[in-house]
Amino acid sequence: MAKSKSLGPDTMGTRFYKWLDERLALSTMAGFLSKKTVPQHKHSHWYYWGGITLTFLIVQFITGILLLIYYKPGPDAFESVRFITYELEFGWFIRGLHHWSANLMLLALFIHMFSVFFMRAYRRPREFGWWTGVLLLLITLGFAFSGYLLPFDELSYFATKIGLDVAESLPLIGPALAAIARGGTDVTYLTIQRFFTLHIIVLPLIILGILTIHLVLILKHGNASPPSEEAKPKNKRKEIKFFWDFFVKDITMWLLALNFLILVTILFPPQLGSPADPLAPAPEGIHPEWYFMSQYQFLKIFGNILPGAIGEFISIGLMACALLLWAIVPLIDNTGKAGKRAKAATYIGLLSIVILVVLTAWAYLAI
Amino acid sequence: MNYPVWVVPVIGSGWVIGIIAIIHILISHFAVGGGIYLAFAERKARKENRKDWLEIIQKHSRFFLYLTIVAGAMTGVAIWFSIALSSPEATSALIHNFVLGWASEWTFFIIEITAIIVYYYTWNRVSAKKHEAVGWIYAISAWMSLFIINGILTFMLDPGKGWLSVAGTGAEPSKFWEAFFNPTYFPSLLMRTLVCITLAGLFAMVTASRINEEKEPKLKEQIVKWSAKWLMPAFALIPVAALWYYLMLPQANKDLFKLGVSTIGQGIFTQLTRNAVFLIFASIILFFIAYVFLWRHPKSVKLSHALLIILLAFSIIGVTEHMREMMRKPYVIGNYMYSNGIRKFDAEKFNSEGYLRNTIWTTEESKTTWHIQDTMTSEESDNLSSPIQPDLYRGELMFRGQCIACHTTNGYRSISKLLKGRDEASIRSIIDMLHEYKEDSPYRKFMPPLVGTKGEVDALIKYLDSLINKIDQ
Repeated sequence: MAKSKSLGPDTMGTRFYKWLDERLALSTMAGFLSKKTVPQHKHSHWYYWGGITLTFLIVQFITGILLLIYYKPGPDAFESVRFITYELEFGWFIRGLHHWSANLMLLALFIHMFSVFFMRAYRRPREFGWWTGVLLLLITLGFAFSGYLLPFDELSYFATKIGLDVAESLPLIGPALAAIARGGTDVTYLTIQRFFTLHIIVLPLIILGILTIHLVLILKHGNASPPSEEAKPKNKRKEIKFFWDFFVKDITMWLLALNFLILVTILFPPQLGSPADPLAPAPEGIHPEWYFMSQYQFLKIFGNILPGAIGEFISIGLMACALLLWAIVPLIDNTGKAGKRAKAATYIGLLSIVILVVLTAWAYLAI
Repeated sequence: MNYPVWVVPVIGSGWVIGIIAIIHILISHFAVGGGIYLAFAERKARKENRKDWLEIIQKHSRFFLYLTIVAGAMTGVAIWFSIALSSPEATSALIHNFVLGWASEWTFFIIEITAIIVYYYTWNRVSAKKHEAVGWIYAISAWMSLFIINGILTFMLDPGKGWLSVAGTGAEPSKFWEAFFNPTYFPSLLMRTLVCITLAGLFAMVTASRINEEKEPKLKEQIVKWSAKWLMPAFALIPVAALWYYLMLPQANKDLFKLGVSTIGQGIFTQLTRNAVFLIFASIILFFIAYVFLWRHPKSVKLSHALLIILLAFSIIGVTEHMREMMRKPYVIGNYMYSNGIRKFDAEKFNSEGYLRNTIWTTEESKTTWHIQDTMTSEESDNLSSPIQPDLYRGELMFRGQCIACHTTNGYRSISKLLKGRDEASIRSIIDMLHEYKEDSPYRKFMPPLVGTKGEVDALIKYLDSLINKIDQ
C-alpha cells in the first residue's frame, strides 16, 4: 500500500491500481520482483533458453487448443487432420506451428538443460530445480510420443507400433503397460483415444503443476552463476535488474524464437502421409523423430549384440540407469567446489553430449 | 537456346542468384537509406553543435563505406555474372530494352560511389557546408539508382499492356516509358524506399551499440532512440504500400495468393501465401522488438542484439524477394518470356519446327537426323529394319533447355523426387499435360508450356524415365 501512494496524481488509472493492489497485493509482488537481479557475464546468453522453451510451450498450448476444435479422435482422426491440413483456411499454418514448436521446444529444452548443467546450476540449493527440469524433459518427450500418433497416418502408426513393441519387451510390467496404452493387442482407434486423453488432459495437467514449481524455484533462488564467475570477489561480479533490463532482452529472444518458428513453418509445412493401414508392410527406412533417434540406435546396437528380449531388457535397463545418473548429478557434485566430484560431473555432461550426438548421427547414417 | 545452359547441381542456378541477390538487396537498400540517414544525422548534429554525435556519425560512415562499397559492389557484380549465366535470354532482353535505363543507373552509381568516398575522406578537411552537400549528393544519387532499378525489376513482373503490344516487333524501345512506369512501379518504389529507411535505422544500431553505456549513457540513449525513429515510417506505411502493390498486381498473381489460404498444396502453389503470412508476423515481431527493446531500453543494446535484429530484417527481405520471384511464375518477364527463357510467341514455332532445331548448341548432323525422324510417316518408320528409339541425349538436351531453370535432377525441386513412383506412362501423362497446356491445367498457373515436336517430347519422357527408374536405353 505504501508504494501505491507514490503513483502520482489521483487519476482513474491510479485509483484502479489501488483498488487492485488492495485485493491482490500487487505492490508486494512488484517490490519482490523489482529486487530480483540476474548475473551478467560472458555466459549470460545461456539464460535465455529456459524462456525460449517456455515460449514454445505456450505456442503448443494455444495451437493445440485451436487444433482441438477440428480434430476428431477415433476412426475419423486421419480425415480430420487431412481436413485441417488441406481444406481448412490456415489450418496448415496452425498445424505447422504446433508441429514445429514441439520440435523446437525439445531442441531449446536440451540446450537449456545442458547449459544449466555446465553452469552447475543444479548445485545447492537448486537441486529441486534440476529434478523438476528432468521431469519436464520426460513429460515433454511423453507429449511428443503421444502427439505423434494422433494424425494416424502411415508413419505415425508404425512409429507408435514400434515404440510400444519396445515397451512390451520390458519384463513383468511390459506387456500390461503396452496393452493399457494400446487398448488391446494392436494399435487401433482405441489407442488414439488413449493417447489423445494423455496428450490433452493428463500430460498438460502434470506439466503445468511441475512447471509452476520449477518457475517458483527459479524466482526463489534466481539464476546461478557459472563457477568461473563465482570464483570472482563479489565486487567484481556484475548484475542487472530482472525488471526491466533482463526481461526486455528475454522478450526480444522470445520474439526472435517466434520469428524462427514461423519461418520454418512456412518453409516446411508438415504434410500428411497415406492413412494408416495395419495390414500393409512398414514403409522402408521408417525411423523415429530425431529426439528418439539416439535411444533407437542404442536399442538396435544392443539388439545386434544380444538378440531377443534379454537384449532389449538390458538396453532399456542401461538407459534407465543413465537417466538416473543424470538425475542424481546434484548428489554427486554436492560440494559446491572444484574438485574430483565436479570433474566427474563435467565428464558425465560431456560424455552425455558425445553419446547423444554420435548415436543420433549413427542412426541417421544407418537408415 | 541461343546460349549455353548453366547446370548447377543440388541448389540449382536460381538459388545461386537468390543467395547473392538477397545479400545484395539487404546491403544496397541500406546503401540508399543509410545515405539519407547520414545526411540528416550530420545536419542535426551540426545544427545542435553536437561534437559527440559527429564523432559517432563519422564512425558510422566508415562502417557504411566498407559495407556498401566492398560487399555491396561485389554482390552487385556477382548478380550480373549469375543472371547472365542462369537466365541469359532474360538478361539480354532487359539489356536491350533498357539501354537508357542501365546507362542512367550506372551514371548514378558512379556518382554514388564517388560521393561516398569523398564524404568519408573529407571529414574535418572541408567546410561543414561542403561536407553536408557531398552527403546530400550521395543520398540523392543513391535513391535515384533505386528509382531506375525499380522500373526494371517491376517491369519483369508486369511489363504493361503498351509494351506487350509491341513485344517481339523490334519496336520495344518506343514504349520505354510505359514499360518503365509499369503498373506496380510506384507502390514498389514506395515500399522499397520505406525498407531503405528502416534498414538505415537498423544498421545504425551496429555503430550505436558500440557506444559504451557506462561512459556515455546519455549519448547512447539519444542515438539509439533517434535511429529507432527511422523504423516508424515503415511501420506506419508499409501495410498501405503493400495493399496498393497487391491491388496493382495482375489478376493471375492475385489468384495465386488466394490459393494458399485454403490449401497447403505442394511446392509453389501456396508458397506465396505462406511467405505473406511470414511477412505479416515477422513485421509485427520486428515492431515489438523495436518498441520494447530499442525504444524503451536503448542503453541495453549490444552489438549481438543489433546483429540479431538485422538478421530478422534479413529474413524479411529474403522472403519478400523470394515472393517477388515466385509471383512472376510461369514467366521471368510477365506475359513475354517464360521462366525457362522461351519467348511466349516462340512456343508455336518450336512446337512445329522443333525446339532443338532452333538452338545453335547441337550439331547439324543431329538436327538433320532428328528432323528426318520427326517428319517420317508411320509407313516409312514401319519399314525400317529396327524401330526408332527416342535417344537419351536428345531428351537430356530438352531437360536442360526447358526444365533446368527451375528444377535439378536430385536437389532443389528435384525432378527425381517430384516424379518418384511414376512409370513411363505416368510420366507421359504429366508431360503431355504440360505440352498441351490447356486453359484449365493446374500447371498453367506456375509452369511454362513444354514446347517441341512429338519426337522431342518422347525423347524427354524417355530421358526422365531413365532418370527416375534408372533404366538405360
